[in-house]
Amino acid sequence: MLASSADRAESSKVDVPTIGKSHSRNQFPRRSGLVARTGIGFGTCAIVALLTSCQTSGPAVNAHHPTGAHLQAQPVARIAEPKDVVSRARLRIMTAQQYDNTLANIFGPDLKLDAQFPPMTRTGGLLENGAGVAGVSEAQVEQYQRTASLVAAEVTDSAHRTFLIPCTPANEKSADAACAGQFLTHVGRLLYRHPLAPEQAAALVNQADAAAVRLKDFYAGLSYALEGMLISPEMLLLTETAAPDRTQPGHERLDGYSLATRLSLFLWDSGPDSRLLDAASSGALETPRGRARVVAMMLASPRLVAGTRAFFDDMFGFDDFQTLTKDPSIYPSFTGATAADAREQTLRTVVDLLITQNGDYRDLFTTRKTFISTALSPIYGVPAGSGWTAYEFPPDSPRTGILTQVSFLALHAHPGRSSPTRRGKALREILLCEPVPHPPPNVDFSKVENPDPSLKTMRQRLTAHRSNPVCAGCHRITDPIGLGLENFDGAGEYRGAENGATIDASGSLDGTTFTDAVGLGQALHDDPALTSCLVQRVYSYGIGGAASAKANPMLAYLNQQFAAHGYRFKDLLRTIALSNAFSEVEESTPQMRTVRNGSSLGK
Amino acid sequence: MRSLCTYFSRSIVAAAMAMGLAALPYYGAHAAGITNRTIGYVLTNKYWAVYTTADAKIECPHGFNDGPREQFAKLFPNDGVKRTLLETQLAREADTWFPASLEEKTAQGPLPFYYVGGSTAIGLNLDGKVGPNDFTSPEGEPGIDNQLYRVIGCVAGFRPGGAYYFFMNEYMERYAFNRVLIEITNVDSLVNDDDVTVTVYRGLDPLLGSADGKNFLPGGSQRADERWGQRYITRLKGKIVNGILTTEPANILLPYADTFDCNTDQHFKAARLRLKLTPTGAEGLLGAYVDVDEWHRNMAINWTTHHASYGQMSVPSIARALRQMADGYPDPVTGKNTAISSAIQMKFVQAYILHPTLPHRPTVALAR
Repeated sequence: MLASSADRAESSKVDVPTIGKSHSRNQFPRRSGLVARTGIGFGTCAIVALLTSCQTSGPAVNAHHPTGAHLQAQPVARIAEPKDVVSRARLRIMTAQQYDNTLANIFGPDLKLDAQFPPMTRTGGLLENGAGVAGVSEAQVEQYQRTASLVAAEVTDSAHRTFLIPCTPANEKSADAACAGQFLTHVGRLLYRHPLAPEQAAALVNQADAAAVRLKDFYAGLSYALEGMLISPEMLLLTETAAPDRTQPGHERLDGYSLATRLSLFLWDSGPDSRLLDAASSGALETPRGRARVVAMMLASPRLVAGTRAFFDDMFGFDDFQTLTKDPSIYPSFTGATAADAREQTLRTVVDLLITQNGDYRDLFTTRKTFISTALSPIYGVPAGSGWTAYEFPPDSPRTGILTQVSFLALHAHPGRSSPTRRGKALREILLCEPVPHPPPNVDFSKVENPDPSLKTMRQRLTAHRSNPVCAGCHRITDPIGLGLENFDGAGEYRGAENGATIDASGSLDGTTFTDAVGLGQALHDDPALTSCLVQRVYSYGIGGAASAKANPMLAYLNQQFAAHGYRFKDLLRTIALSNAFSEVEESTPQMRTVRNGSSLGK
Repeated sequence: MRSLCTYFSRSIVAAAMAMGLAALPYYGAHAAGITNRTIGYVLTNKYWAVYTTADAKIECPHGFNDGPREQFAKLFPNDGVKRTLLETQLAREADTWFPASLEEKTAQGPLPFYYVGGSTAIGLNLDGKVGPNDFTSPEGEPGIDNQLYRVIGCVAGFRPGGAYYFFMNEYMERYAFNRVLIEITNVDSLVNDDDVTVTVYRGLDPLLGSADGKNFLPGGSQRADERWGQRYITRLKGKIVNGILTTEPANILLPYADTFDCNTDQHFKAARLRLKLTPTGAEGLLGAYVDVDEWHRNMAINWTTHHASYGQMSVPSIARALRQMADGYPDPVTGKNTAISSAIQMKFVQAYILHPTLPHRPTVALAR
């Protein structure tokens, strides 16, 4: 039972049009300079990757102006939405978080949900993209069943049945087809993301009845049928189905239920709710006006918070927190609670700025507003009340933006020391979508791992390390960035000195120099690749696969729209959700048609 | 076997307390110190001060005292005599609360109880005098009043490594009721300041343990319980000389949590603190007279015979000894002393003390 592995890249049905001067290398003096300055250490792939990133970054969007006010003063040529860029109908597997969110939305948040499914393979910077290339092993099925069994038992137990099951059986010790049918039909529509066919509903009721008779317990029978639904491929595999596009003859688009599911996973990280399925059923999603109304409803929903958290948790690579460890003898303040709260702090900061405040995405890297918990209090050196409390660092604080939060600083450091290289690499790869080559296999780390005692600071040790020309190439693109965060140790605590020597936290980001982490945050804020990288990630997250070069016209359009809307995340989500590429799909391959028709699925 | 006290759940009042932390200054990790002429600390460790030598020959030349099991075997030997439950276990249980009956009336005379015999003790000079029963501190200070040490110094459970010694500190982290805060205000220097105010509060938040499990972390936050814990709020006048804080005598009430989270209060009379202060912690002594009836009752309530046996802590014997060694606060009618001098070794870590029910205090920004 394998999901399709042939649908990773997005495609275009026609030749990609030239975007004209916006693709000129002259538009990317900083990127070109970066390659030219540091090229000796790059492999060809790295250069290509960087250039690819440049092509998808900022050219159509004059994003060098931090405030966005330039858009009025200096209008740029408006790019129309490219109607010929389409996505692919995909078959994906549900992530653990999507599974939890879906069940919590259907049955309520008090269920004890803790689905532990195997992680996806990070593809194109996102785990979510790996959901289209996942397999299902026997061990994984056991995990699904364990979760399903617990959930089904809890939904039907005496504490929940009175409000989760809409009817009472005539006899609790026997079957009741009418009541079972009422419950299973309602829940089945939400779990399978489409209405149950009559024969499908009848089969489920038969299962519940047979089990109830055998177990002499109506609720046990219902639990049995529900457990089966919760591990059904129809629940776990997200199958997108194409249908003819009535507005564009000869084109295909996602059918209403598939589009509802894609929207829901994109914006809520959950299966669709009843209203969304109603919109799919009525055809409202197929009209621009109806779809806009639905998307507006979804963006106004509290579930947008879960969707936003899921996206940034994925983009920021926070799954690595599950394996993050620090040497307790070196960093006694960094506990397990610190790691968990560091992740939560950044997600709260993101949600507050981008969703609650509807702020500019770039301000994530300069904002002094955040949230503090008791576990984080010792590392930040600030008071914290019980639970989470809003906190704003004062203007003279060295902390500004999420780069200076413990999540970034600790996640991208060694267990016992800081790492300008890891931090610089993470900034490039995660936030600027610029892959950094792996170190060569014969690299000599002795100058940083067993340093000369006279080299007191990490800057001095890395300078010595870079004397090796094999190492110098890569380090030139990471270290000038990461050194800007050297005032923070491997756990994210502030320090003014290292081994008695004052730390020099100056550095540069592709030609923009700075003296400390505050300056680095501002440089990143003003970097056009910052916003174009987000656009690329959000777009590929929405369509369920990494964006290929063929999507460049779409990305250019999205970049421009993002800038025009003041880099508001919610507007970016809306633009993508309403775009043609989000709903239009290329014609189905015979292979996909076979899968969708169920010739292999669930057999 | 004595019954255990009722297990009370704690009220949670945090939700009602708005913090408004954005108005507080940024301190920076490890830069904690005096801010706004204030510094706070939270108590992490406390031990009844027991001075020990390597082989205990000096302070306990006769060895350590028997515990409940050893005493029971001596009181009721397996000698063929038939004894009822009432005459044995239940009678001994009564001794826990009304001591000095059975063990003083054995055929061989009272069971022995070994008091500390040395001349050195940890503590403070509470009465300002140097009396014949006073100790000398390990640093050479005469007139140390710590008669409680005479009672418990040769009881294994109270010595370092003993059951009581261990659990009293384990409970500091495990339980919440016994969170003790001190806030030093009107302070300009942690080295020398001739006039500071020390306020004792009960805290509401857990201690923060370090990642290696060996220590507690400075830099945490503690909400002062100014609603339900008003009875614990005590203001003391003090001064700091060469980094040592000394407070003037005053009565202090501290929250006390013991086995199975049995919560009660502990009164300290004519109490004074002597603490070495640093920006990240404080360490030193609380010297005071403690009420012998309260001390006895707290131990009898909170330590089952099971637990007491592991520490060889005989409550009847200790209660009897407490009254014999009591050296303060004579009863106006009987003339018998009702309190005994004592000392507690204390460790604190720095903590930001929040006053949820009070208006925000003006703050000053520190460098960084």
